Amino acid sequence: MTVPEGYFADFARHMEAALPERPELQQPQISMPRTMWQRVRPYVYMAAMFAGVWCMLKMFTILTGAGPQPLDTNTIMAEAMGNDAFVNEYVIDDLSQWDIYDEMMDEGFNPCVLTDSMLIDTITD
Amino acid sequence: MAEIPAEDPALIARLRDPATVREAFSEVIAVYSEPLYRQIRRMVQSHADADDLLQNTFMKAWQSIEHFRGDARLSTWLYKIAVNEAITHLARERKRRGLSLDDEQSALAAAIEADTHIDGDKLALDLRRAIASLPEKQRLVFNMKYYDDMKYDDMSTILGTSVGALKASYHLAVKKIEQFFHNLD
Repeated sequence: MTVPEGYFADFARHMEAALPERPELQQPQISMPRTMWQRVRPYVYMAAMFAGVWCMLKMFTILTGAGPQPLDTNTIMAEAMGNDAFVNEYVIDDLSQWDIYDEMMDEGFNPCVLTDSMLIDTITD
Repeated sequence: MAEIPAEDPALIARLRDPATVREAFSEVIAVYSEPLYRQIRRMVQSHADADDLLQNTFMKAWQSIEHFRGDARLSTWLYKIAVNEAITHLARERKRRGLSLDDEQSALAAAIEADTHIDGDKLALDLRRAIASLPEKQRLVFNMKYYDDMKYDDMSTILGTSVGALKASYHLAVKKIEQFFHNLD
């Protein structure tokens, strides 16, 4: 691959002459102090974005009727809680011995005062 | 073969200084015009087109010199502009003349034949014909690797392709060029 004689020297000379002036490059860049709004703007935008997402999810929940329902509007749960067998089987069954003990203490149970029904007759060896 | 000049930190510093930017850019033109010209010329084959594209390359570089932040090397930045100019030119020519990619390879081969600025070395001429027969991407990668001994990482930055894909392209290009010479025998 050959090029005309003296091509690169000529090219550099012509190219330098053809470059337009760019006075804006010569001007010093004046850095303006940032205003309060410019400083907080990214955080405000981020907060607005999260608020928007939250609103969107809330609207979606309301429009689709999904999400938790209170007991008085949830007929299935209201009916279930009125059923003693259901409560004994599924609700009370979840209580631990400590829950029962706390409940008894709240109601004034005194372990030092035992009624006859609570006494264990004897322990036989 | 014009090798890529080593990066000069003092030149980069002067390019960033508004007081010396123009003078430093003149030096950039003097240093990089030959390697960039050869890269462009290998892509478009014609001296006249390469000359125009080289001018466009430096003009675009000058217009956006303030955007050169030194994240990439200066040579990589200039090569990227030059390669984009050449690719755009080839695509424009293809469209203007209604050529397909295969037709373009034939047109490049014809340009080699018609170019008056080509020396008479038959082997070099055959190699240029073989390179012209390659698809555009492989031609680019082969030129950069074979003639400029460019690193794959730099090529990756210029062409926006992964290093693995570039290695594969180079391997395919070499195979096709070997086949080209095998067919000549």
